[in-house]
Amino acid sequence: MNMIETKKLAKTYSGFTAVNGISLHVPKGSVYGFVGPNGAGKSTTMKMFLGLTRPTAGSFTINNMQYPQDRVKILRNVGSFIEAPAFYGNLTGEENLDIIRRILRLPKSSVTDALELVGLTEHRRRLAKKYSLGMKQRLGLAGALLGRPPILILDEPTNGLDPVGIHEIRMLIRSLPEKFDCTVFVSSHLLSEIELMADNIGILNHGRLLFEGTLEELKEDAAMKGYPTDNLEDMFLALIEDDNSRKGSNRKNNSKRDSRKTESSRKGGAR
Amino acid sequence: MSLYTEFRKLKRTCFFPAFAAGGVLSAAFPVLNMAVRSELFTAINAPAIQILMENNWEMMVMLNLLLLITGACILYHIEYAENGIQKMQALPLREASLFFGKAALLVPAFALMAVIEAASLIFCGARWFNESAGTLISDAAASLGFAFLLTLPALILSLMISSLCQNMWTMLGIGVLCVFTASMLPADSFLASLFPYAMPFQILPGMETEQITRYCIAAAAETAVLGSAELIILKTRRLFA
Repeated sequence: MNMIETKKLAKTYSGFTAVNGISLHVPKGSVYGFVGPNGAGKSTTMKMFLGLTRPTAGSFTINNMQYPQDRVKILRNVGSFIEAPAFYGNLTGEENLDIIRRILRLPKSSVTDALELVGLTEHRRRLAKKYSLGMKQRLGLAGALLGRPPILILDEPTNGLDPVGIHEIRMLIRSLPEKFDCTVFVSSHLLSEIELMADNIGILNHGRLLFEGTLEELKEDAAMKGYPTDNLEDMFLALIEDDNSRKGSNRKNNSKRDSRKTESSRKGGAR
Repeated sequence: MSLYTEFRKLKRTCFFPAFAAGGVLSAAFPVLNMAVRSELFTAINAPAIQILMENNWEMMVMLNLLLLITGACILYHIEYAENGIQKMQALPLREASLFFGKAALLVPAFALMAVIEAASLIFCGARWFNESAGTLISDAAASLGFAFLLTLPALILSLMISSLCQNMWTMLGIGVLCVFTASMLPADSFLASLFPYAMPFQILPGMETEQITRYCIAAAAETAVLGSAELIILKTRRLFA
């Protein structure tokens, strides 16, 4: 059963296509890694899942609930962390989580629980604006984990963390499906990072889904296409470069076709 | 629920102390005016509250409006400063309830100011005009109640502009511009006085009953229209996000 499913989901911003008809399938109880270079459309896709951005075309369901009809119901089932951490700087870490707890109508103990999970208990009484970037990331993550929602949408959760922090958060994300019976949809621009925590992978470039499947399937696919398979980073780069060059040659062909059309119409006009 | 959550968000912003201090500052104006020019005012043959309102209200209402704008700025600045609003939008919460929760906080904050100002007018009336406490209290309550009602459209509009401006200074600038525009509008034109920031300049004492009714209806209608406009803006903004 798929927890998140999209059908030709697309988002266009005044002529620029951020997400280009992607069809994702996120199995229940899995960690799904959403990989792509900066500007590939990962955050836009995640924002669409949360109703922060409206899709231009296509549709999606989350836990069998349809957007936009069930937007509020979907949000009740989703814990999220999008782009930069979002919080109230005038409140402490604990007070920030308490605001979310009240809105979600959760017991008070859920705040302590979330703080402990992300390792912020010691700093819970410090003002959030005085947190370091890593601590802000952890606070954002705690906000997403609050109440242990069945679906977690995490946008580059390890950004700004030190190596120890990255390892801790990675292990936490990896353990979430088993611990809390939840599905995690996590994005990163590093395939090597996603490899360490995801069961399934989706690779996005220029808004298009280049690959979806397990890591083994990705390696098989890459070997068949003649990409390097021993180093994941090289494989990812080859995949992206190949797509970029194909896109570039398409663009060249299109511009050649356009110039030929203009020339022939000019000749036609002269005749 | 939403009101309490919004109240909790205001911690360490000095929101209510700012309104209390503003109320005291505004209330000090008639007291100082009377202390300095009491002979001039006590010589006028009219009810105490009418004299006090006619000679102090313009300055008091300017302070009230400026503080209202500042309050609206604070309420949305905390949302935009560290992107807290994005977290709210990703929670099972309607954005309209966020707006009306903030409006519901701004109303008692302004009411607090109005009470302090009413107390000051009553004090002045008792100290310099020797009017009975009963008359002073009822006159001051009616005048400030009327002023409170007429300020509601400006309150909603300030909050609406704040919700649209991510930069606090933009909202503050627009608000100050609106207040000064309102103070320059012709006082005898009913139509001009319907501008949300101009309406609070009207005073109850000495006003005809028909005019009072017209202003009350206009204030209620403007508040409802501006509230509905905010709902439409929030919906439209989501559609184009």
